[in-house]
Amino acid sequence: MLPLTLLVALSAFTPPSPTHWVNDPEGVLTPATRDSLDTRLATYERASGHQVVVWVASSTNGEPIEQFAERAFTAWKVGRAGLDDGVVLFVFTKDRTVRLEVGYGLEGVLPDAVCARIIREQLAPKLAAGELGPALVAGVDAITHTVGMPGVPVVITRPPRTTLQWVGIGAVVLALLVLFILRPGLMLQLLSFALIFRRGGGSGSGGFGGRGGRSGGGGASGGF
Amino acid sequence: MATTTMTQQPKKFLMGGTVALLIIAGVVILTVGWGVTTWNALVQRDQQVRSSWAQVENAYQRRADLVPNLVETVKGAANFEKTTFTEVAEARARVGEIRPAELERTIEDPAAFQKYSAAQAQLSASLGRLIAVAESNPSLQATANFRELQAQLEGTENRITVERMRFNDAARDFNTMRQGFPAVVVANLFGARFSEKRYFESTAGADKPPVVRF
Repeated sequence: MLPLTLLVALSAFTPPSPTHWVNDPEGVLTPATRDSLDTRLATYERASGHQVVVWVASSTNGEPIEQFAERAFTAWKVGRAGLDDGVVLFVFTKDRTVRLEVGYGLEGVLPDAVCARIIREQLAPKLAAGELGPALVAGVDAITHTVGMPGVPVVITRPPRTTLQWVGIGAVVLALLVLFILRPGLMLQLLSFALIFRRGGGSGSGGFGGRGGRSGGGGASGGF
Repeated sequence: MATTTMTQQPKKFLMGGTVALLIIAGVVILTVGWGVTTWNALVQRDQQVRSSWAQVENAYQRRADLVPNLVETVKGAANFEKTTFTEVAEARARVGEIRPAELERTIEDPAAFQKYSAAQAQLSASLGRLIAVAESNPSLQATANFRELQAQLEGTENRITVERMRFNDAARDFNTMRQGFPAVVVANLFGARFSEKRYFESTAGADKPPVVRF
């Protein structure tokens, strides 16, 4: 019971993790706009590696948008670990505020001044006119166009394992082997469990999942 | 019969001695192992505080680097009171005065920490006034250069807020462990190596008007 209440308390504090590239928990967007933008951003991530996420809601409930954006970005881990190449576009329709939160790794290509210009020139005029869908499309266009594609394919390499880690891995393998010889039935049960959990816990191929990116508060905010 | 009791006596004594020795060895190994683990955990948290601090310094440095450009832009476009500029220039100079050696021990030394955050708070306040004055000037508002600088300054202020918050989190994490019971023994053994970390206060003088000396 305690872990459940703790979980509820935590989820009330941080915005829920996004399930798509375009997130519209309150259903402000038309499904057609949402889906086409979502597909575009999914394709963009597959091609460039950069995660660009859109979050549309009515209000932050009194919290400054910068604080909300930082907390959400940290919780969602947008962008790849080590590269920190994520971007989140927040739009709050009732608050009439916008924020572009940029991961550490993209601060060079998306400096604050450029973010401010995208908000001022692409997003704010359309948002002020009540055209939420076209505003998001223009904003996303500007972001993906500015960031572009990486010149060289980026490959994340894991640091080589240390001797101690190899010893640990060896010990685990040995223990499993012994278990397999002594109790094959139990071992098979364990294996099936592992497979089920893998299927349940994996992000799958269709959905969105954070990849461990971080941001340091870079980007820009604006109103409309 | 007599010979067996004779030989059993020293054997029993020997066994008791071995067991005691084993227990002592076990206790020693456990203590050393616990000490090493605690030491490593403290070092890891200490490093976390230091790297967060480096990020705070980066963000502040970024702001200090923006100041000359900002002052030049505002100065060129508008002719308003000189005091606004001198305030910023003085505050910027005070931040620049802090020597690297001082900067290095800022996390541990309360006086150095106080000096650093006070100097930065003063720069925040004077920059805030400069921006407020500049924003009321429509001709300056229209220039792309000023708008860009303003966006950069806003972004930098936000980075400062974020990194300060992360630093405070890391410092709290370290201090909580350092003050907790088992770790405090190890930490006190090494004195200055694991001294307590300072925190940034949420409004470190930023709400108070700075004292301007001429």
